[in-house]
Amino acid sequence: MTTDGQPMNDSTGDDEAKTTDDGSRRTDGRHTKADGGHATTDSEFATPSGAGTDTEDGHGLPPLGSVRRYLVTTNHKDVGVLYIVTALFFLIFGGVLALLMRLQLWTAGQGLLSAGAYNQAVSIHGLIMVFWFLSPFAFGFANYIVPLQIGAKDLAFPRLNALSYWLYAASGLLLGVSFFQGASFAGGWTMYAPLDLPMYTPEVGSTTAILALLLFVVSITVSSVNFLTTMHRMRAEGLTLRRLPLFTWTILLTVWMMLFAFAALLAALMILSSDRLLGTTYFSFTEGGSLLWAHLFWFFGHPEVYIVFFPALGVMAETFQTFTGRRLVGRKWFIASMVLVALQSFGVWMHHMFLTSINLQVKTLFMATTIGISLPFDLMVFSLIYTMIKGRIRFVTPFLFTFGALVLFIVGGITGVFLGAVVLDYEFRGTYWVVAHFHYVMVGGVTALIGGLYYWYPKITGKMYDEFLGKVHFAAYFVGFNLLYFPMFLAWETPRRVFDYPPGLTPWHQLATIGAFVLGASFLLMFYNLTASLFTGEEAGDNPWAYSTTAEWTVPSPPPLENFPGIPSYRSGSIDFLAEDERSAIGSGTAADGGELTDGGVATVSDQATDHAPGHERITDEGEGEDHASIWPLAIGVGAFVLLLGASGFQGASFPDGFAGTFYAGLTGIGALLTGGSLFGLTRERFTGPSGPFGESWPFDGIENVKTGVWIFLASDVVLFGAFIGSYVFIRVAQGWVGWEPVPHDPLPGLVNTYLLLTSSFSVVLAMVAAEKGSKRGVVASLGLTIALGIGFLLNKGIEWQELFHEGLLLSTNVRTSTFFLTTGLHALHVIAGLVIAIYMLTRATRGAYLEDERPIEYFGLYWHFVDIVWLFLFPLFYIL
Amino acid sequence: MSWFTQLPEPTSLPVQNGIVPRGTMVEVFRQIYFVFLVLGTLVGIVVIGYMCYLAYQYRDAGRGDADGEGGEGGEDGEEVDRPTLGELPTGSGGGRKLFTSLALSAIIVISLIAWTYGTLLFVEGAPSQGEEDFEVDVTGYQFGWEFEYPNGHTTDGVLRVPQGERIDLTVTSRDVWHNFGIPRFKVKSDAIPGQTTESWFTASETGTFQAACYELCGAGHSAMNAEVIVMEPTAFEQWYANTSNTSANATGSGNATEAGANATNATTTGAPNGTTNATGGNSTGNALLGATTTRSA
Amino acid sequence: MASTKLYAAIYVVLFAFATLQVAVEELGFLGEAYWVAFGAIIVLSFLKALVVAGYYQHLRYEPRSLSYLILTGLLAALALTVAASYSIT
Repeated sequence: MTTDGQPMNDSTGDDEAKTTDDGSRRTDGRHTKADGGHATTDSEFATPSGAGTDTEDGHGLPPLGSVRRYLVTTNHKDVGVLYIVTALFFLIFGGVLALLMRLQLWTAGQGLLSAGAYNQAVSIHGLIMVFWFLSPFAFGFANYIVPLQIGAKDLAFPRLNALSYWLYAASGLLLGVSFFQGASFAGGWTMYAPLDLPMYTPEVGSTTAILALLLFVVSITVSSVNFLTTMHRMRAEGLTLRRLPLFTWTILLTVWMMLFAFAALLAALMILSSDRLLGTTYFSFTEGGSLLWAHLFWFFGHPEVYIVFFPALGVMAETFQTFTGRRLVGRKWFIASMVLVALQSFGVWMHHMFLTSINLQVKTLFMATTIGISLPFDLMVFSLIYTMIKGRIRFVTPFLFTFGALVLFIVGGITGVFLGAVVLDYEFRGTYWVVAHFHYVMVGGVTALIGGLYYWYPKITGKMYDEFLGKVHFAAYFVGFNLLYFPMFLAWETPRRVFDYPPGLTPWHQLATIGAFVLGASFLLMFYNLTASLFTGEEAGDNPWAYSTTAEWTVPSPPPLENFPGIPSYRSGSIDFLAEDERSAIGSGTAADGGELTDGGVATVSDQATDHAPGHERITDEGEGEDHASIWPLAIGVGAFVLLLGASGFQGASFPDGFAGTFYAGLTGIGALLTGGSLFGLTRERFTGPSGPFGESWPFDGIENVKTGVWIFLASDVVLFGAFIGSYVFIRVAQGWVGWEPVPHDPLPGLVNTYLLLTSSFSVVLAMVAAEKGSKRGVVASLGLTIALGIGFLLNKGIEWQELFHEGLLLSTNVRTSTFFLTTGLHALHVIAGLVIAIYMLTRATRGAYLEDERPIEYFGLYWHFVDIVWLFLFPLFYIL
Repeated sequence: MSWFTQLPEPTSLPVQNGIVPRGTMVEVFRQIYFVFLVLGTLVGIVVIGYMCYLAYQYRDAGRGDADGEGGEGGEDGEEVDRPTLGELPTGSGGGRKLFTSLALSAIIVISLIAWTYGTLLFVEGAPSQGEEDFEVDVTGYQFGWEFEYPNGHTTDGVLRVPQGERIDLTVTSRDVWHNFGIPRFKVKSDAIPGQTTESWFTASETGTFQAACYELCGAGHSAMNAEVIVMEPTAFEQWYANTSNTSANATGSGNATEAGANATNATTTGAPNGTTNATGGNSTGNALLGATTTRSA
Repeated sequence: MASTKLYAAIYVVLFAFATLQVAVEELGFLGEAYWVAFGAIIVLSFLKALVVAGYYQHLRYEPRSLSYLILTGLLAALALTVAASYSIT
């Protein structure tokens, strides 16, 4: 139905027959997933209906209609759909837990759930919504839309993208399983120490939930590296950073925050897992273990607030522009504000700890930074509001949702200022004020993302949703939302996470419960609408929205596998698709008209020239031969699931006796084999990803994709080790710095290891030099030497540890030994990983590899030297000082 | 039911010391909260109202697609430059308007926070000299509260305090992270194992009130309450004089055995605002490892 | 990029610095003036790291953006370490 608000008449005419044909095939595929189930399990829809147009250029990629496609696909659009559908499944999961809580709160006191079950519902609801729903939902869009918006054929590392998804799916499954292992985690989504230790939450399921989160963080890290490489390196000509569409901008900043924030969470979770599995004593350490967790968690946790909110902001900006028919007011300042927020987000975390024993100076400092971070948001809100002026505003479903989201966000923002005043925060801490505030902000964000779902639904499926039902959904949603969360402000004196509250507040809580069900029911409408529209919806055409600008609307709905009919370029100021030969003209730097490009274009020409020369051509010929299918990401996901499920049975450095222990030990073994084998398979597989030359690559011009990726990964590893070292410093300060004796009595074994690592670094350099000179013998000898030195390092460390163990100094002995063994142990794991890669490379080098192209050795070297550098700090910190 | 349902009625006139709110925690809170609420509501209504006005004013009333027609409220005749598909994203001016609004909101927010900062210093400040404060140590455990009076008397689950006197609380935990709060008197403090936090309150009325735990601490969190009984000063004196320094019930003994290894070199670092990283104390600090005994189903 | 000779010279310097760090402890400086010795040892570590990153990882010859990338990570880690440790003093 074409309602008046939907000016789709002007664009449907432009459609080509191709879309229709694509669209109808897509319908089958979509059905599998639109109802929220796992695409993986519903095999009844496995009707390979499509004639194989996709298979032809897909390089072994099954057609769209089949389930098999979604198991092996590495295409960003398919992965995006997988993310969106899986995230919606977790929305239902987390939503049901929330409804259980609301039912419990219908009256004060015990009800539906036991106390333990209630705490689990509270904790897992929080974890799911923050981790397994919000970010992945946004990243479904990011996967689908960002490459289209920046003019890339796919992400830089398509298989890693699929791997991110499968690790995410595996982690979610693991979380679900945790409920069946005694009980799942019940310590709140903030997982405060020491409640998160086995002493207080002894159930195996608690460990599983924490390991699930660990796996999720690994998935995020892989994904961050991938997105950053893609977004920085692979933009269309003329699309400088300043010119990026706003949704892409928000994703770019989100991913940057993710890279660093999640590295800190990874450290926290590794330490927590070690405390739970190996018996280290970081968080049970009396003088500061609890605070250490709070610092690590909130250092991640505050950026996380923006990580989940930024994509929503991007959706708001895009839809405000499209549906008001106005360009964003003060776009430059809007972007500047976001950059500022992203930077500042790492300097506000202690405002979550105002009531702890941190000192007044720090409180004051963090109060100031907190106010500082609220101001850019004011600017962004005003910018969105002013964009409406002189607009031609059409109240279609996507805009209703994002408009509503802005209203909710304003309420959330104002109530947040209350919390910024420390004196008020003292009272609001731990009450429903906080609950109401962050739900207004975060679920406000969800509101915008739902708007995004309606906005991009026609692009993704090729069908138009039912506008009337969409509007009804919005009405029910908005009423339900406010009915649910606004009473929480009125009942703010209720302590958080309790089911017993003052009876006088019962009416408010009952209103909230009613609101929760209205909100929940409104989603049924959405699911019905979106599912039914797959079959009965009108053809959407390339661009159903008037005044949309971004590149995804210039291609068919859904876009073909290779996205664009040519090479996208903004040379003329708006998008054009160039033919291959036109590109080569750019590539060789002969574009005569380069001078008249929009800003940035001139730089492009020279970038291209440098980019081209060192070696893109060497990897693949041209983009045509790209692959879109690999089974290994799925296999690694399965392996990781089994491995961690097995590891969850491990406690206090051993498996339990009896059947359970054997079972868990067996799972661990099988999982390790599966993961290792699939990783090997992934390495062995020949896979061609998208290759250059690319249009804009600032600021990583001339640094090839893989190399950029390696460096970005190393930057996150810096934060990981930084957080480990930071934890050590914190603990040592808490205990008194000077009175602390290093665990090894003698620095000599450490010094020997320093020598060994330094020498091995040198030999990697020699290997690279030899490869450059084309000396096979030199490469093999230097790599062999590196491996020998690395093994020597591990042996020496092994002997040293053995001696310490004999003296009775174990990981669990005290916090001194815990920090020593765990930090140097993490480093040793890095060494082992490096050795595995080196041995793999050595076997290839004996067959003459790397002589033509020494870059793999160089990249391995980057990692190996980094591991060396880390040791240069660990050695004095843990052996001398 | 003396639950903490309503805001406490004003029992005494707010003590206004110049512009910075002072007085009991309740008075301080009520004044600041009131100002924030009024301003917040005002700002919210203005901003959201303006949004809705714009949305209505510039709604697309199906006036066709011809550009430059100008909206009803738009300055007529002015050509409006609509975005086109595939263009390089650009903005549409408006920087000055934006910064005026930003400056306005910044003034409101910053002045509000600066205003409350004075109160924060007052709240965090040491008790005024000369006044006799009554000091109570509060220890949280799964799932209850233990109070220790200056004379060594300990009680479990019931805190008796004299009316009208400033009570200084030193709060810690024996096992996991708790948070001690008495909503009626607007006092709240984290109870963290191995750390002590300090707070204070003044009970302005007699009666029995509820203290609760504000940090998820396990299965019994919802029911982790204590009674706060505020007594007439004279009645309290009498009661207090009758307490010996024997505990009402034995607590936390025998728990500090294996924790010794944990605290290898305990150096207590002094803190400017009275925060100390307590290690020993009254066996609370080291009881972490043995505290499983106090867990209840 | 640098010559093999330079790489070798750097290797010797790194070797010497590592030895020097232990020497500072073995000669008892750590006992006498702890914080001076502490500073010296940490500075030596940073120097070594700079040399490895600059030459072995050839950051010196790369676009500055890579150095800034790593420095950002370092800065984040330092902010966490310093602020967290300061908050409990």
